[in-house]
Amino acid sequence: MNLLVVGLSHKTAPVDVREQMALPEAEMAGVLTALTSRPGIAEALIFSTCNRVEFTVRAEPETDAVAEVYSFLANDCRRPIEKLERHLYRYSQSEAIRHLFRVAASLDSMVVGEPQILGQVKDAYAIAKAAGALGGPLEEIVSRSLHVAKRVRSETGIGQMAVSVSYVAVELARKIFGTLAGHTVLILGSGKMSELAARHLRRSGAPAVFVANRTYEKAVELASRFEGRPVPFEQLFEFLPHVDIVISSTGAPGYIITRPRAEALMAARKNRPMFLIDIAVPRDIDPEVNKIDNLFVYDIDDLQQVADSNKREREREAERAEAIVDEEVASMMARLKAHEIAPTIVSLQSELDRIRRAEMERHRQRLGSLTPEQQRAVDELTRGIINKIAHTPISQLKSLANHPDGLHVIDVVKRVFNLKD
Amino acid sequence: MNPMGETSVFWLRVTLALYSLGLGHALLTVIRRRQRLFTAALVAFCVAAVFHLVSIVEEGFAVGRFPVINLYQSSSLIGFLITLLFLLAYWRYKYDSLAVFIFPIVFIFTLVASLGHPVEPWSSPVLRSSWLFLHVVLALLGYAALFLTCVAAIMYLIQERELKSKKPRAFYHWLPPLGALDELGYRTMAAGFVLITLGLIAGSCWAFIEWGTRWVVDPKIILYFVTWGVYLILIFTRWTIGWRGRKAAYLAIFGFCCAALTWMVDSGVHSFLKR
Repeated sequence: MNLLVVGLSHKTAPVDVREQMALPEAEMAGVLTALTSRPGIAEALIFSTCNRVEFTVRAEPETDAVAEVYSFLANDCRRPIEKLERHLYRYSQSEAIRHLFRVAASLDSMVVGEPQILGQVKDAYAIAKAAGALGGPLEEIVSRSLHVAKRVRSETGIGQMAVSVSYVAVELARKIFGTLAGHTVLILGSGKMSELAARHLRRSGAPAVFVANRTYEKAVELASRFEGRPVPFEQLFEFLPHVDIVISSTGAPGYIITRPRAEALMAARKNRPMFLIDIAVPRDIDPEVNKIDNLFVYDIDDLQQVADSNKREREREAERAEAIVDEEVASMMARLKAHEIAPTIVSLQSELDRIRRAEMERHRQRLGSLTPEQQRAVDELTRGIINKIAHTPISQLKSLANHPDGLHVIDVVKRVFNLKD
Repeated sequence: MNPMGETSVFWLRVTLALYSLGLGHALLTVIRRRQRLFTAALVAFCVAAVFHLVSIVEEGFAVGRFPVINLYQSSSLIGFLITLLFLLAYWRYKYDSLAVFIFPIVFIFTLVASLGHPVEPWSSPVLRSSWLFLHVVLALLGYAALFLTCVAAIMYLIQERELKSKKPRAFYHWLPPLGALDELGYRTMAAGFVLITLGLIAGSCWAFIEWGTRWVVDPKIILYFVTWGVYLILIFTRWTIGWRGRKAAYLAIFGFCCAALTWMVDSGVHSFLKR
């Protein structure tokens, strides 16, 4: 089998280079058809996302897959191949399989463990399948990669920890309250980050979002964006005891929530826990407030710190994921070899039998008339000879199926016996 | 031998029966976290206070002086005074969550008081042993629930520290959320408290019937009362001023230490059983 991956990603190329290589989704099917209609290219798959552009092909054994893909990129796709070349990576055979598995399992992503890539792999698979560019071993590899991705996700914690600041806020809220159902959110001030965090919280089950702003119109406007309710700024401190999560990002020069105010707040809440997220600079909440029991204050740096620590945790999980990928690549290779060996064995056997029959036919006359027993004896004799001859190559093929040199042995046997398959 | 007048004991038992409604109300409130039967319990409590006064007056006439001679008489008086103060406070401030704390306390004081008067020993050995068995089962189930409370409290403290430190380590990922731990702690504590309260009543009655007036001095029983008191405080503080989180967790751990000590003292056999 002749498998090749050629491509570039966020690891090898800056965005302006990736842009030059990228393919719009609408053109994908046409490009795939053109690629597989080239001589020697049996199957093809293309990824084109903002972080990677990749061409994966399965070529016929004699084809120079690299030259074929490069000439396709240069001539058919009109990509400046000489300029791109130093950014391109190439993987072949088992390394190509490993790469596909790692991409699907989100081990090669910019944010390791991010979940979107699996959807992108599924899309690429569907497009290639619809364009008729798959249907052999490559399809088996791609569909296996989806399984590998699921296995990695369920057997390691790679996708569990939040690594973006706004998701960290949601994760922390969950760690404090358990469930977000029944816990309301108040946005104090405005800002992209607080809006994003509120949106995540809302989607994770927080039942209501309130918005307070010094300019009431702004509060109304922001509240309308997520079915929230505006709160007059003057009533803020009467209102605060009734919300559980506060995201603060006002432009106030000093602290809005000071320690005495927070203490009064907790007394009014009968100490029910509260989560204050302060993403304003300068800060809106006195850091001293964090010392009050059942009150948790995180500022922007704290959130970033948790995100970084989660990233490190993900990297540790990624090592476990790599072990799973290794295992899957080995089992995929074994399976592919078994596929390749079966036809070789069959054609070896039928080739030898064809020779036997031809020789029998040629010498039939010279043997004269034979009794049925004699006829059977001659058949058994000739069949015995070819079975003895075929025994060693066949058992060698079978035992080498799981060995890295297996493919090489198949080639040798094919050549020695002049086999097609 | 009989310091209390017969009629006084009768009225005290009527009082106890009425107070038991208050106890029932308190236990239901702890489990369901809603006050439902409060009015009924309050009315029963007012009526009980009257009978309680009658009982104390009768006792005073029977002994010919102010009845604070022994532990039983004084505990009856303390129970009555607490009732009186509670009713006054309630009339003045309508502070009904106090009832969760007061009702069980008054019940236990009155229970102790009513057990100062020896009765006929067990009529059948089966009844005697099954009553004891009931006490042991209730107490052990209660300890098991309180052990879970203690475990939840320890996990809570670790997780709370992780969240306050803002530098999450492995514990942060492994341990359940604070909310879940708090919930688990409260549920097991509510169940444990109900069980040890019933165990306390069963045990007191048993010891009283078995040993007459000497039962109160058993160290294990005293410890049991202390443990019960700690949990009563825990539930009361949570119910009223919302003591939860770190302080409540420390108190829960302390409460379990008391429970463990109670259990370990004399390795399960009360001192008077050996005599």
